[in-house]
Amino acid sequence: MIRPRWRGSRHAPSLIRHSSSHGYFSGSLEKINASVNALVSTASVLPPKRTGLPLSDFTVAIKDNICTSNMPTTCSSAMLQEFTPPFDATVVQLLQDNGARIIGKTNCDEFGMGSLNVHSLHGPVVNPHAPPGSPSRWAKRERRSAGGSSGGSAAAVAAKMCTAALATDTGGSIRLPASYCGVVGFKPSYGLISRWGVISYADSLDCVGIMARTVHRAEKMFDTLSVYDARDSTAAKPETRERVSVLYNMMQQWRASFLPGIRIGIPQEYFPSELQPEILQPFYHTLSYLQANGAELIPVSLPSTPYALSAYYVISSAEASSNMARYDGIQYGLNASPPEGTDTTKTANVYAHSRSRGFGKEVQKRILLGTHALSADAFDNYFLQAQRVRKLVRADFDRVFRTPNVLNYEDGMEPPATGPDRVHVLLHPSAIRTAPPLPRPDSPAQEQNDELSAYVQDVLTVPASLAGLPALSVPGRLAEDGWPVGITVVGQWGCDKMVLNVGKMCELAVQ
Amino acid sequence: MLARPPQWLCVRHIPALRRALSRAASDDPRWPGWAVVVGIEVHAQIKSRHKLFSESRTSTPDQPPNTLVTPFDAAFPGTLPRLNPKCVELGVKTAIALDADVQRRSAFDRKHYFYADLPQATRSPSIMDGRLQLGDGDTSVRIKQIQLEQDTGKSTYLPQQRASAIDLNRAGTGLMEIVSEPDMRTPEQASDYVRTLQALLRAVGSSDGNMEQGSLRCDVNVSVNRPGSKFGTRCEIKNLNSVKFMQIAIMSEVRRHISLLEQGAPVPQETRGFDEDRAETYSLRSKEDAPDYRYMPDPNLPPLLLDDTYIARMRASVPELPAATRARLLALGLARRDADVLMDVDAGRAVGHDGAGAVAYFDAVAAGRDPRLVVNWITHELLGQLAYRRETFAQNAVSAAQMGDLVDLVRRGFVTGTAGKVILREMMARRSLDMPWQIAQELSLMSRGDGAELEKWCAEAIAALPEEAEVVRRGNEKVVNKIVGHVMKASRGTANAQAIRVTLLRMLQ
Repeated sequence: MIRPRWRGSRHAPSLIRHSSSHGYFSGSLEKINASVNALVSTASVLPPKRTGLPLSDFTVAIKDNICTSNMPTTCSSAMLQEFTPPFDATVVQLLQDNGARIIGKTNCDEFGMGSLNVHSLHGPVVNPHAPPGSPSRWAKRERRSAGGSSGGSAAAVAAKMCTAALATDTGGSIRLPASYCGVVGFKPSYGLISRWGVISYADSLDCVGIMARTVHRAEKMFDTLSVYDARDSTAAKPETRERVSVLYNMMQQWRASFLPGIRIGIPQEYFPSELQPEILQPFYHTLSYLQANGAELIPVSLPSTPYALSAYYVISSAEASSNMARYDGIQYGLNASPPEGTDTTKTANVYAHSRSRGFGKEVQKRILLGTHALSADAFDNYFLQAQRVRKLVRADFDRVFRTPNVLNYEDGMEPPATGPDRVHVLLHPSAIRTAPPLPRPDSPAQEQNDELSAYVQDVLTVPASLAGLPALSVPGRLAEDGWPVGITVVGQWGCDKMVLNVGKMCELAVQ
Repeated sequence: MLARPPQWLCVRHIPALRRALSRAASDDPRWPGWAVVVGIEVHAQIKSRHKLFSESRTSTPDQPPNTLVTPFDAAFPGTLPRLNPKCVELGVKTAIALDADVQRRSAFDRKHYFYADLPQATRSPSIMDGRLQLGDGDTSVRIKQIQLEQDTGKSTYLPQQRASAIDLNRAGTGLMEIVSEPDMRTPEQASDYVRTLQALLRAVGSSDGNMEQGSLRCDVNVSVNRPGSKFGTRCEIKNLNSVKFMQIAIMSEVRRHISLLEQGAPVPQETRGFDEDRAETYSLRSKEDAPDYRYMPDPNLPPLLLDDTYIARMRASVPELPAATRARLLALGLARRDADVLMDVDAGRAVGHDGAGAVAYFDAVAAGRDPRLVVNWITHELLGQLAYRRETFAQNAVSAAQMGDLVDLVRRGFVTGTAGKVILREMMARRSLDMPWQIAQELSLMSRGDGAELEKWCAEAIAALPEEAEVVRRGNEKVVNKIVGHVMKASRGTANAQAIRVTLLRMLQ
């Protein structure tokens, strides 16, 4: 039986003790975290800086669903509260090899399931942003959500606790908190960054991504992490990466600083009724800047968009119910003994106690829904149907992009001709609103409404997840209420560089 | 009446014959008026060094528990599967050997159930669908499909602690699931099927196929019906540990079904176990309790794509299969019984991984020699001596070169047959590289029997056995054999028996 060894500091929600008197973790960082609750574990010792490496100047925080062997990896769940993995994730290894120094693990929604970072063993993350001209002291600022599920990573970067942070994005879990906290959040094309050592929520959707305060820094991290790993069978093979870079050159894509000629698609379906008006002004501001500098703005249609949210929740819940099945408290994790008198001859009866105690309500809900979607009676109408919708969503994107999707054709085949009416990238608001207020514990009725609206927050982010496309959220101007607004750039599969370049243009719009 | 087809011919080409044979099988005197239908699902452990999806080495039952387990095998969070191409190769070769169509594209599914012996509660089958036929004796059994799956770990119940001990060494080992159509009609056909399949798997090298050691497991589906009616409700029997028990279980189950039906009761569809002590089946779970496995395509494993080049390469590397071996041996002039003996050695557990089997040994010795002569030396003398010494063929120390030399010496008359046997025994005892002619000279076994010495021994023998000599003089030639024996002993087997006989008879005219 493997016994996890607890390293790093233990803490109660919103409090962090010094792990050593010689720790790098300075008083002000501790104070910030006391107010933000972004970090849940800290490294007891920060390694010395090694110069001359790509990430020598980077301090990095890692979302707590990515395995680190020197710090616990809890996924913000009671189930893994005491769990320290026996290995490091590939991405952690790559960061260290490239000189980055890892300061700690960040808070998140349990197992990545959530949009507000409130479903956490360690307590909620509090958005570090304070609107300009806020009357009170910073620690007394309005308590708003940092977004989820990677709220901790976004908040740590926004509060300047570290240079950058690693996180994961399954249905918007990087882009949404980036938008709410006012930082850059990048979800690369599915398959470019290794998922070995990343704790699975929904394997066909999970992507490792990066948060930073500038696109440039996010790109530096991406360049070191976008490496083929044979241990991940879903990783894009070197031949595929080669094919897309050849195609990129062949299509004579414009260069980074050269806006004229770029065609930016504005998808009509991304302005649902739920979209709050204060989002539009910052969005239009960025669009005007781009247009003034030579970009063409073209309305496009992605008709399957209204179905994407339901399809996403069916697929992700189904896959989650499968991935969560391993947590039974036997090999590792929380073990809760069944009470006296339980019929222990049925294995499921024994497991149920650990699982009921270890999983939070949101995770339990999704497991139940996902199990139902996979059951023999429901499979065709839910799981299969959701996969058909997913195909339609992908096809929508393939119809609007200039660049063909290299995953759809093989070496030696002529890439299909794409017409001049197509676009290079899409641009749309990252979220339907600014950061929502954190729910107060004493308002059950409000919570009921919030439950559903929490899911609706994902409506703009899930299509790119379903299609595995690169998507980057860049901060726009602040909204009228003084809170951050994110603008998302989406590109065709493999065109991550193009997306990052457009992102840099968007950054200029608010400087 | 139709001629019986030669036994190695696959009956698939003669559908009418197959139907005729299956009709004939329904007139079984053990259950008159009833027809039996049997289908078998075999799980054979793939003989690869590493498991199906992890880099862990595969285990043998004697290894200490939980020593061959990677984090993936224990379903640690953050781990991912990686398909072992060797398992695919062995699975494809097996499919080719079974004459199946190998799917160009197969996908992996996860299977969900909670049980401690496979912690991630998933199995990943890949369907290599096949319409194919297996020849066993006179009948042909169609194979419905072949899949690759993960094996479970082992669970041992400890009654003292009222707990189960879990050993994950075996968890994740590759399995081939081979599912037959319900084409068998008697328990004997079922045993025949399993034994033929075992021999084939061992010939291909994809599995040891050993039921007692657990590298082969059988689940048997049994039903009965009145001839002419459609198939009855079937019951599945699991956890059968030997072919013999499988046969007994089938018979017990058939009788149980018939008894129920004759009383007018229906046969409930069930999964049953087999109690070896009482030789009967018992209920494990009913249809209502059958779990919904909620199969889901595994998003961590891309579909397996096999192209024609790969399949052709596999086909070329499939070794000679039992049917072809038998045909070849018989064509060399061997008696069927001798061919069977050689092949049974190979089909048994007695062959080492690196050592050649009995057939390969025979092939090496028979090259450039009379095959019938060679096979006699091997099957009668060598195997006989090995049995006497309680050694397996794997422990045979006599090389093909030594054997061949011995056969030559005897055939050319340099040593007698009897002397040859002595030399063989000597080689087996010495376990050295000494060639037979060396040993023959050392032990003075080279044939003698040139005139003078032979006459001398004969005269001495006649003098020693005066009564027998008198009988022979009077005309009873048969008794001369006793005197021949005396001479043989005197010559210590070096004199040729025929020559002795001739000489004696001459001297006793």
